[in-house]
Amino acid sequence: MIELLAITDDRAAPPPPLRIVPAGPVAVVVGPVPEGEVDAEALWAREALLEDLMEERSLLPIRFGTRVEDDAAAAEVVAGRGAELLAALERVRDAVELSVRAVDRDGTHGAAVDAVHAQLAGLAREHARHDGPEALRSAYLVERSGVDGFVAAVRGLQQEHPGLSVLCTGPWPPYSFAEPR
Amino acid sequence: MSSGGGAIAERDVALVDLVDRLLGGGVVIAGDITLAVADVDLVHISLRALVSSVETARPPEP
Repeated sequence: MIELLAITDDRAAPPPPLRIVPAGPVAVVVGPVPEGEVDAEALWAREALLEDLMEERSLLPIRFGTRVEDDAAAAEVVAGRGAELLAALERVRDAVELSVRAVDRDGTHGAAVDAVHAQLAGLAREHARHDGPEALRSAYLVERSGVDGFVAAVRGLQQEHPGLSVLCTGPWPPYSFAEPR
Repeated sequence: MSSGGGAIAERDVALVDLVDRLLGGGVVIAGDITLAVADVDLVHISLRALVSSVETARPPEP
């Protein structure tokens, strides 16, 4: 078995243990199925491989845990979806994902939460707000060149709204914007 | 960020964000999706840890 990690349209060989399997107009980044227990360290090791790859090319992360028998099967499962996956790649090209959570510690700052989201959404190519236990749980698709400005905006918003705890992580590969629409 | 070690709490938040993305994000491609039960337990534990850590979080010093 091999693991499918990402879709890309750059067929340059990635650093080992990753490999490229061409599949029509796109290519699949594959790697060995990790041995042993999946713990936090293993997840971060996998993430580091993807983030290194993201530095040098645009990619669509594939849902975690996707495995097929061999390279031929990898090409086969992507065959026929080339146009759709290319369009999905264009959507995220030269952009990265930033995660923001805001906790409203006493539940009285709903307007501030909406203002935080609106301001950050204005800095993003796309945004997705999800339900969760926090007042704000959202993902922003941000131009690579705009990451520093986005992080500075988060810091400014935290100072502006001391009633909230604003937590930002990233840049991530565009996990939340990878599924073709 | 939380009572007792901001750096550790930041790593915890990042792990929750990572696990969220691994399990709920990414393009779905046909194939076997293999997830051990232990992985899912890890997520639930992490989410609970995040909620409790942010509930006790303080704003950063200006």
